[in-house]
Amino acid sequence: MGITIRQATINDIQAMQNANLHNLPENYQLKYYMYHILSWPQASYVATTYDEIININDQEINLDEIEVTDAKGDVSYINKGEKIIGYVLGKMEDDPDAKDKIPHGHITSLSVMRTYRRMGIAEKLMRQSLYAMCECFNAKYVSLHVRKSNRAALHLYRDSLQFKIESIEKSYYQDGEDAYAMRLDLELDKLLSKSIEEEDDLETDLI
Amino acid sequence: MVVGKKGIPIISNKEDANFREALKLFDSKQYKKALKLIDLNLKKNSNHAESLALKGNLILNLPANGENKESDSLSYINKAIAKDSSNYLVDHLIGIYYRSKENYFEASKWLKLSLDNGSPNKAILRDLSFMQVHLRDYKSLKESRQIYLEHQPGYRANWTGLAIAQYLNNELTNSINTLSKIEDIITPHLNASDLYEHNECTLFKNKIYGELKDYSKALEVLEGDESKILDKLSYLEYRAKYLLMMDDKKSASKIYRALIKRNPDNVAYYNLLELSLDTINKPVETRVKLYEKLSNFYPKSDPPKFLPLTFIPSTNPIFETKVKEYLIPQLIKGVPALFVNVKPLYKNQSKSEIIEKVVLEFVDNELPNIQNPTVSVWTNYYLSQHYLYKKELIKAMEYINIAITHSPTLVELYIIKSRILKHENKIAEAMEVMNEGRELDLQDRFINSKATKYMLRNNCVNEAIDTISLFTKLDEGTINGCKDLHIMQVNWILIESGEAYNRLYSHYKLQLESQENDTDKEEIQELVEIYKGLSLKRFQSVLKNFEIFYADQYDFHSYCMRRGTPRDYIDLIKWEDKIHSTPVYIRALKGLTNLYFELYEEQKGTPPTDDDIQVKKINKKQKKAQVQANKKRQEFATRVESEKDDSDPFGINLINNLLSDDILTKLYELYKPLIVEGKDLLLTWESLFKIYLYQGKYVLALSAIKNFHKLLNNNGTTTTTTKHCKIISNMLIALSDTLNSDIDVNPAIKKVVEKGIISSYPDFEK
Repeated sequence: MGITIRQATINDIQAMQNANLHNLPENYQLKYYMYHILSWPQASYVATTYDEIININDQEINLDEIEVTDAKGDVSYINKGEKIIGYVLGKMEDDPDAKDKIPHGHITSLSVMRTYRRMGIAEKLMRQSLYAMCECFNAKYVSLHVRKSNRAALHLYRDSLQFKIESIEKSYYQDGEDAYAMRLDLELDKLLSKSIEEEDDLETDLI
Repeated sequence: MVVGKKGIPIISNKEDANFREALKLFDSKQYKKALKLIDLNLKKNSNHAESLALKGNLILNLPANGENKESDSLSYINKAIAKDSSNYLVDHLIGIYYRSKENYFEASKWLKLSLDNGSPNKAILRDLSFMQVHLRDYKSLKESRQIYLEHQPGYRANWTGLAIAQYLNNELTNSINTLSKIEDIITPHLNASDLYEHNECTLFKNKIYGELKDYSKALEVLEGDESKILDKLSYLEYRAKYLLMMDDKKSASKIYRALIKRNPDNVAYYNLLELSLDTINKPVETRVKLYEKLSNFYPKSDPPKFLPLTFIPSTNPIFETKVKEYLIPQLIKGVPALFVNVKPLYKNQSKSEIIEKVVLEFVDNELPNIQNPTVSVWTNYYLSQHYLYKKELIKAMEYINIAITHSPTLVELYIIKSRILKHENKIAEAMEVMNEGRELDLQDRFINSKATKYMLRNNCVNEAIDTISLFTKLDEGTINGCKDLHIMQVNWILIESGEAYNRLYSHYKLQLESQENDTDKEEIQELVEIYKGLSLKRFQSVLKNFEIFYADQYDFHSYCMRRGTPRDYIDLIKWEDKIHSTPVYIRALKGLTNLYFELYEEQKGTPPTDDDIQVKKINKKQKKAQVQANKKRQEFATRVESEKDDSDPFGINLINNLLSDDILTKLYELYKPLIVEGKDLLLTWESLFKIYLYQGKYVLALSAIKNFHKLLNNNGTTTTTTKHCKIISNMLIALSDTLNSDIDVNPAIKKVVEKGIISSYPDFEK
């Protein structure tokens, strides 16, 4: 199953909640996911598998031999052959009591199923979400919290995405663990990873 | 403010003054104080309808004092109705009462009546419109929003609300007109904080233009609105789509390239690019070249590398080259999902053989020269999954064991080993191995979830809940996370628990049949009841979560108008309208269906009598045993409670209530939404067939068979597998047998059904 990365829609939220419940200890009821999608529709992204395209593309497969079944009753599936294996849930700061009135984004939650790691999915999800926050909501920066013990996440934010550690928030998590409060100033042009070798000029014929 | 000041009748006396004061207190949630005043009123005049209606509301909102809160409050509401239901204040209060109870059907009826009886309070229209959209009464919705907009035209939300109502009524042009009108009015007055809403409403308008299928008009409007649009992704997607529909493929292709540049990992853009470049029917080599180019632009992205593997025929030598290019670097990098990623290609057996050859050659020729030992681990990991797929379990086990011997702390390996054991039907061992994996990384919830799942598959529910509870919220006084799992809507565990309890139920039921000792029998009988109840209860709680998911939309009926996100709001409505076809819902329903049919058989078999309850004398020893058993039962109950102070922890009442009810009708109620939402599901028609058959609705039963059959031919497939043929012929046999043995059947109906069977299934022999 190839992996595709696209904007999250309301159709994805159950499977996003499921991925979150599988991967992380901080969980939310479905309505909170609804609230994200219906407030900042551009700010959340999902990584999904795609399977059905094989049936269309591969002329050697005899479709008659494929048994008709209902979709798998697995919560991660949103369609036949399409399951959510990672997500980023993003928002803009909307707390009226927030100190900083400059528009800025916040990452509520991000996770990728363990069996799909080492493919750079988390970074790609983040880049798309940050780009949208900047473009649609004029976010000047984005902030997030990371468990102090979560080295993989720290590596992603600090090393791959260039976030800076702002402060340490004592006992930020329910279980008493401290969090790093991290922040990244957003500049649209710098957010998409560019190929070093060759860039599509969008003009020259491809074929 | 619930009731406007203007809404108070002019004739005033002491009671009315008290009532007005109480109403204010009600609005500010000071229910106790309000109740005092109202009681004063009712003491003087027990017929004061407004006071009665308000009292009903107050009782409902006050903290429970006694068990009769519900019936108490309702009795006041009914009294108020009896006294004066033509009083618009009374109507309004009754509407509010039903709204609090989330009975929007009744609530909207009373709010409507309040307006019809002359209430000058226009805010009622807003409330009413939320209920009408919730009930999908789009015609009335439009009316309410229209009148409310005329009353309050100064808010954009009211315009958006009307436009959405028009859209839902399929009045697309009217909807566009409403949106354009407010756009023009508001443009000179926009603040920075309005720009996002402005952008969304503009895109909503454009989306409707697109749905009208006049693409050149839609494109013209879109380009004219470009400066208003912040969401450039939508802008590009809409634009490319219109151009493609207008057959300006060249221009469309350039936009899809721009979209790929923004997000080179979205496979949809590649497919659309090919559509606009007209390459799908070009020679394979042309397409391969195209993807090589794209892959050069976006070396870190998967789709341009993976897609060629899907369309290059296995007979073309390029396939092997491309497979190598795809697989080998990822084996070297150690990408855990590599096998899962290429697995769909295995549907084509020749391709799977080539892949096998490539990997084995890599093992023989290149691997020995690679210094990094983890490459060999990930390659063995890959091969293990490969042979597992091919059902060569011994080989699969060999490869994974080699990997584990080399890297005994790599969690992923245990996941696969456990899965192989599962396929060998060694469920208990599979659970053990998954748990070994979990113990290697106690911080990771993913492996914890997997271990929990395998415990459930092995019917160790208590152990599973204890394991997952390491990651749930533990409230004081609770011994595990069972309640939290319900609150957090963890459907996967609820469904797995329901199925595990169901297996335990079947297991003990079988044991009961072979058991001879009476005391043991009693004990097992109790387990049978408990596991049956628990299974039903867990399946029900999945359904309950879906009721919550449906109720969740209510607040957004007003929020999205104000926030200005009409496009996603429409998506929400459409999503909620097919929520019952969600796979996990269907799975829970399937479990319930089997239980319901069993209970139905049980109900038919044993007419409810009190005769079989035997009063037995018990001696001291037995009494002691009973006390012990009760204690054990109590402990068990605290483990499985789904909510605080659960009055029915084992679901025994659920079962008993069903047994004293019309089970088939109850089950039919569950399937009713699926007739529309789940018409494409085999389960829908399979179950409906059975329900109709038992209910003696033979015509409907036959049409269920036909609907089931139709689905099998839908997917472009023409042949029906033998498994499905058998299901259909079994259904036909059951139908015709039942029809023949039913002495009460209307002869005309019998004829219709028999004829129907013959005409649709001429090969079917009785």
